[in-house]
Amino acid sequence: MSSETDRSTGSTRVLGDTWRSVDDGLRSVGNRINPVFQPLADGYNRLFGAYFGEMNGLQFLLIFGSLLGLLTAPFWGTFSLIQTMTIACIWAVFAMSWDIQSGYTGYISFGHSVLSGVAAYATAMLVYNVDPEMSMAITIPLSILAALAVGMLIALPTLRLSGPYFSLITFVAVLIFYRMIRPFSEYTGGETGIQTVSVFTYDPLVRYYYMLIPMLVVAVALTFVARSNIGLVLMAIRENESAVNAAGLDATKFKLWSFVLSSIPMGIGGVLLVHYYGSVDPTTFVVVDNSIEMIAMAVLGGMSSILGPLGGAFLFVMLEDFLLEGLPASARWTILWTIILLVLVFARDGLFRKLWHALERYGRRGETR
Amino acid sequence: MLGTLLSILILGAMISAVYALIAIGFTMIFGVGGVLNLAHGALIMLGAFAYLGLTSTGGMLSLPPLVGFVIAVAVSAAASYAMYAGLVQFIEENVVITFLATVVVALLATELVTFWFGTDPYQLVPLVAGSIHLETVGTRVRYMELLGFVISWIAIGLLWYYVTQTDEGRSILATSMSERGAQLTGVDLDFVKSRTWLIAGAFAGIAGVFLGSLLSTYPEMWLNPLAIAFIIVVIGGIGSIKGSVVAAYLIGYLETVTIQFLGSSFQGIFSLVVLVVVLLVLPQGLYGREFVHE
Repeated sequence: MSSETDRSTGSTRVLGDTWRSVDDGLRSVGNRINPVFQPLADGYNRLFGAYFGEMNGLQFLLIFGSLLGLLTAPFWGTFSLIQTMTIACIWAVFAMSWDIQSGYTGYISFGHSVLSGVAAYATAMLVYNVDPEMSMAITIPLSILAALAVGMLIALPTLRLSGPYFSLITFVAVLIFYRMIRPFSEYTGGETGIQTVSVFTYDPLVRYYYMLIPMLVVAVALTFVARSNIGLVLMAIRENESAVNAAGLDATKFKLWSFVLSSIPMGIGGVLLVHYYGSVDPTTFVVVDNSIEMIAMAVLGGMSSILGPLGGAFLFVMLEDFLLEGLPASARWTILWTIILLVLVFARDGLFRKLWHALERYGRRGETR
Repeated sequence: MLGTLLSILILGAMISAVYALIAIGFTMIFGVGGVLNLAHGALIMLGAFAYLGLTSTGGMLSLPPLVGFVIAVAVSAAASYAMYAGLVQFIEENVVITFLATVVVALLATELVTFWFGTDPYQLVPLVAGSIHLETVGTRVRYMELLGFVISWIAIGLLWYYVTQTDEGRSILATSMSERGAQLTGVDLDFVKSRTWLIAGAFAGIAGVFLGSLLSTYPEMWLNPLAIAFIIVVIGGIGSIKGSVVAAYLIGYLETVTIQFLGSSFQGIFSLVVLVVVLLVLPQGLYGREFVHE
């Protein structure tokens, strides 16, 4: 930053000076807050640091502050905010599941809405075609298994190939799945879908926890996996696949595992979504836009960081349903896609990763430029 | 029975010609830059809507269809170039980011068009009106379909001449074989890429006007043709122009036969089956990396 400002013209120097004073201000604030939470963070680091990565006081404040905020949301949030956050929880599951596969391995999938769609359709079709009284204890595991099976069906032929083929085929897979729904409308309900699925509960506050708890479990599980050696290998595949093979690890096998790791939470998310709406139909569950929205959330928060996509999903859904709610749909999406494009070009590591690193810098004591 | 066969033969040739145009542009951009350009679909839509805006009888401008066609193709080409010069150029060193950025551009363009024109389908003024009824075959062929076939082959022929017979064109081919090799022999990469994006944009524009006239024009009209172009490109081999043309006719006929005998709801499913088989047997596609020596 400083070497750039030296070379640049007057106006940017003023901008640079302003930025530096803001930076210094933030640093002094950070230095004051950090020690307060450092003991707690140290305790956390001793217990869990080896599994989830270490953090400083400020980062501890961010993570556990957000966690507390999420858990207590019904006590301070407005009704429509809770509604939005309920949806955001489901999308966060999708974004994180996408991330463990595509973000980490670099094999960008456009087909993830097939996985959630299959799980949702499996639940709905079991209820609709087999037994309307079938309990969730049966439908939920079966639906997740269905997502896993279809995930394998897509992954087995495509992940053997390297490069761009994978993305193209997953994109096509969504369109095919979407089209298959109509010829089999006897079982799938066709365009209008199936409306007879039971919802978890009609109480919106309880429903929020029904979505939040699985989301947090998925977040912890995927962070744990991503921080383990498996995550490391997946990232190595993204950076240099032949090096992974040369190290004696079977990259294809790890890519398949990443798809398994991704299919299961996608299945969970699909089940949550179907029991949230109490119905399935192709346009809300399958269309390729859904896959692209998951990707947009992950990009917004920061790909290959699990918690980044979580934050990205909340930011995205908040923007879409809460902050820009009054605008017509196409204007809203124009703004959203413009934001995503700007993040892609100017902050490709994602907003939450930027925030995370900034907190790390500001927490550091007595450092001056 | 003979009539059905002949009508499949004719209809398949028409639609395949348009698919070929889309697939060629897509595959050329991948060939020279390694960029998977999903915004290619948006260019198809842009071509159709530019034509609509320029020629529609109710609009402000009602240019003669031919003039509108030429301008619409130019608009697509210019938009394609603008995308390269204004966006892709700066981020193309990261494949994943570029790929995602083009997706977002495609969606952004779709939303902008939705904002102006709404989601309802439009009917385009045909370049040439009317149709010819083939008595012996028992099918009706629109002149527009014939024209699409002819223009597609003229465009493919010109492109073939350009990339094999002229130095400028050969530098495009050279770049897609080996970027470093081309650079060492004095090829200006930036110039090559600019021209490739221009050509791809123009091809998408032509395809857009014909798809818009033969089917209908609405903001998401590009989604299915683009998916079919993906299948074609993967079967033909990513980066191969010849492969794209061959695979376009393969898939075009397969789709036509499927629609004829099974109905349009099964469209795409057999293409996917063929795709999986090709991928398993020939992972590089029919003509993938035909010129590349490793």
